[in-house]
Amino acid sequence: MSGVVAWVRSIRIEPRPRQSALFKLLLLLGVLSAAFVAGGLLLAVSGFDAVPAMRLMITSGVDSELAVRSTLILATPLILTALAAAISFKMVIWNIGAEGHLYLGAIGASGIAILFVDGWPTWIAVSVVLISGALGGGLLALLAAVPRALFGTDEVTSTLMLNFIALFFMNYLVLGSRGLWRDLERPNFPTGEPIPEAAELPLLWGSGRRGLHIGFLIAAVVALALWAVIRSTPWGFELRAIGDSRRAALYAGMNVKRKIISVLFISGALAGLAGAIEVTGVLRALEPGALAIGLGYTGIVVAALARLNLLAIVPVGIVVASITNSGQSLQTLGIPNSVVVAFQGILLLAAAAGQFFAIYQLRVVDRSAVALEGTSA
Amino acid sequence: MNDTVLILSTVAAIASGTTLVLVSVGEILAERAGVMNLSLEGMVLMGAVTGFWGASATDNPWIGLVVAMIVGVAVSFVHAVLAVSFRVNQIVSGLALFILGTGLSAYIGEIGDTPLIRRPPPRDLGSVFPEAITDLPVVGPVLFGHDALVYISWLLVAGASFYLFRTRRGLAARAVGEDPATADAAGVSVALTRYVHVLAGGALAGLAGGYLSVVLIGAWQQGFSGGLGWIAFAMVAFSGWRPWRALFASYIFGGLSSLGLTFQLLDVPIPSDFLLMMPFVFTFLALVLITSNPRLSRKLGAPAALSIPFRRESR
Repeated sequence: MSGVVAWVRSIRIEPRPRQSALFKLLLLLGVLSAAFVAGGLLLAVSGFDAVPAMRLMITSGVDSELAVRSTLILATPLILTALAAAISFKMVIWNIGAEGHLYLGAIGASGIAILFVDGWPTWIAVSVVLISGALGGGLLALLAAVPRALFGTDEVTSTLMLNFIALFFMNYLVLGSRGLWRDLERPNFPTGEPIPEAAELPLLWGSGRRGLHIGFLIAAVVALALWAVIRSTPWGFELRAIGDSRRAALYAGMNVKRKIISVLFISGALAGLAGAIEVTGVLRALEPGALAIGLGYTGIVVAALARLNLLAIVPVGIVVASITNSGQSLQTLGIPNSVVVAFQGILLLAAAAGQFFAIYQLRVVDRSAVALEGTSA
Repeated sequence: MNDTVLILSTVAAIASGTTLVLVSVGEILAERAGVMNLSLEGMVLMGAVTGFWGASATDNPWIGLVVAMIVGVAVSFVHAVLAVSFRVNQIVSGLALFILGTGLSAYIGEIGDTPLIRRPPPRDLGSVFPEAITDLPVVGPVLFGHDALVYISWLLVAGASFYLFRTRRGLAARAVGEDPATADAAGVSVALTRYVHVLAGGALAGLAGGYLSVVLIGAWQQGFSGGLGWIAFAMVAFSGWRPWRALFASYIFGGLSSLGLTFQLLDVPIPSDFLLMMPFVFTFLALVLITSNPRLSRKLGAPAALSIPFRRESR
C-alpha cells in the first residue's frame, strides 16, 4: 500500500512543451479508439456481440439516403447549440443554457408563426419566424447575462436554472393550458397548434417530415460566418482577448461587461435559432416532448469534442448525430438504444482526458530527486 | 384544507425531501472544497438502478442502498480524477458523467433475462419506532413515522454542519474551497481534501438514488428521478452552501412536488408546471439578489475557488 502511495506521489504533472500536428492527430485517434474500446467492452460485458454493434454504430447513420438525411436533420440543432456553447466558452463564460434558449426559440418562433404569418410569401414568413426564435433565445440569455456582467452572478447556476424555468414554461403552454400554442381541435390529447404552411422551412432534399430542410444549410453558413467574424473582426479579437486574460483585456480598455452581454445574447440567439428550426423544419408545432431531448446539453458535448473550434463543430455535430441515430438500428440486434447516450458520455470523458494529455505530460520522478527539488526551491 | 391532508402532505414532503437533502448535502461538501459536480442527476440515476438491482437480487433493501452508495462513489471518483488530478474543466467533466449516467442507467435497466424495469418492489426498510409511538396524534406520523433513512439524513445534516463549521478539518476543507494556495501553504493537501469531499458527495447522491428506487418508489424506471439531481444542485446555491438551510429548503421544495396533487384535489388553480418551476425560480432570484449585494454575497456567496482547478505554480 505504501509503495502505491509513494509511486502516486512520485508522478509529476508538467506542461507539455510543444504539440506537433502528428501528436494532435495521434491524440485524436487515441481518444476515439479509447472510447470505442470502452463502448465495446460495455456491450461485451452485458452479453452482446460487440464488433457488429460497434460497426453498426459507426455506419448505420450514413448507410442509406434516408439515414444520411436523418443524420443531417439531427445535426442541425446540435451544430447551432454547439456554436452557442463554444462562443461563450471561448470567452471563459460557462453558459450551459442552450437547452433553455432552444425552448424559448421554439416558443417564440411558433407563437409568431401562428399569430401572424399565415398567407405570407414563404421566404418572408420563414425569415420573420426564424428571427423571432433567435430573439426569444437571446432575450432569455440576457436574463443571465445582465446579472453576470453587473454583479458577477455565477452563470453556470443561473443558466441552468433558466433551462428548467423555460422547460416547465413550455410544458405549461402546451400540456398545462389551452392558449395559443395548444391545438384545441384535439382536446383529449395535448399537442401543439400546427404552424401555418407559409412558415414551414423549404426542403433541399427529399420530402415530408423526413426531408432535409434548409436549416442545415443555415447552420453550416452560420458556423462559417461566426468563424470568420471571430477570426478577423475587432469584436472577435476582443472576445478572444477576454478569453485569454480578462484582466489584461480590462487594462487594455475593453468594455468586458458589454462584451459579456453581447456574446451571451448571440449565444442565446444561436440556440434559439436551433429551436425555431426544429419547430419550422421538423415538428411543425411546439411539441415539448420532442424538443426536450437534451439538444442543448448534447451541443455542449459537440463543442467540447470539437475543442471549441467553430469550423470543426460542423463535422463533429454530424458524427455525434450519426451515432445518436444509430440507436434505432442497434435495437434490431436487441441492444437498448440508450447505449448510444452512454456512448456519448464515454466519448466526452475520453475527449476530456485527452485534452489533459494535450496540455500536460506525466513524468515519474525518483524520490531522491523530489527531495533535491524541494531544497532548491 | 383539513388536518389529515396537512399531516399527509407534511409526511410526503419529508419523504420526497429526504432524497433532495442527501444529494444537496453531498454537493455542499464537494463545493465547499471547491469542486462543482454537475453529474448529480447521473449519479442519482446510477445509484437508483444499481441499488434496485442489489436490493432485488438479495431481497435486502440495505444491501441495495450500500450498492447504490458504492456506485455513487465510483462515478464521482471519475469526476475527481478528471477535475482534481487532470484539471479538466469541471463543467465538461460533470456534464459528461451526467450524460453517461443517464444513458448507462437506462441501459442497465433494460438488459438481462428479467430486466429491472419488470421486477417487483423489494422489501421495505420498516419503521424505526414501535407502533405505540407512531400512532400518537400528529407528532406520531410527522416525527416518528419515517423510515431509518430520514433519521440518518438528519444526523448527516447535523454532522456535515458541525464538521464544516466547528472542526479544524472542516475549516481546512473550506479553506481549500476559498483559497487553495493559502491552504496549501498551511500544509493542507488540496488534492486529497478535494478527492475526499467529491467522493462523499458521490456516496450521498448514490444513496439518494438507491433510496428513491428501493424505498420510495419500489421500482426502476428510465429517468424517473424527475430532475432530482438538478433541483438538489439548485438547493446548494439557494441554501448559501449551508446544510441546515438545505434541509429546510429541500422539505419545502420537496413538498411542492407533492403539493401539485393536493392542489388538484382541492381545485386550487395553480398549474403544476409552475409548482415544479418554483425551486429554479427561487434559486435564480436568490442568486441574483445575493450577488448584487456585496455584504450578502460575502456571507452567502459561493466558495471563491469553486470550479477552479488548483495548480501549484513552482512545481
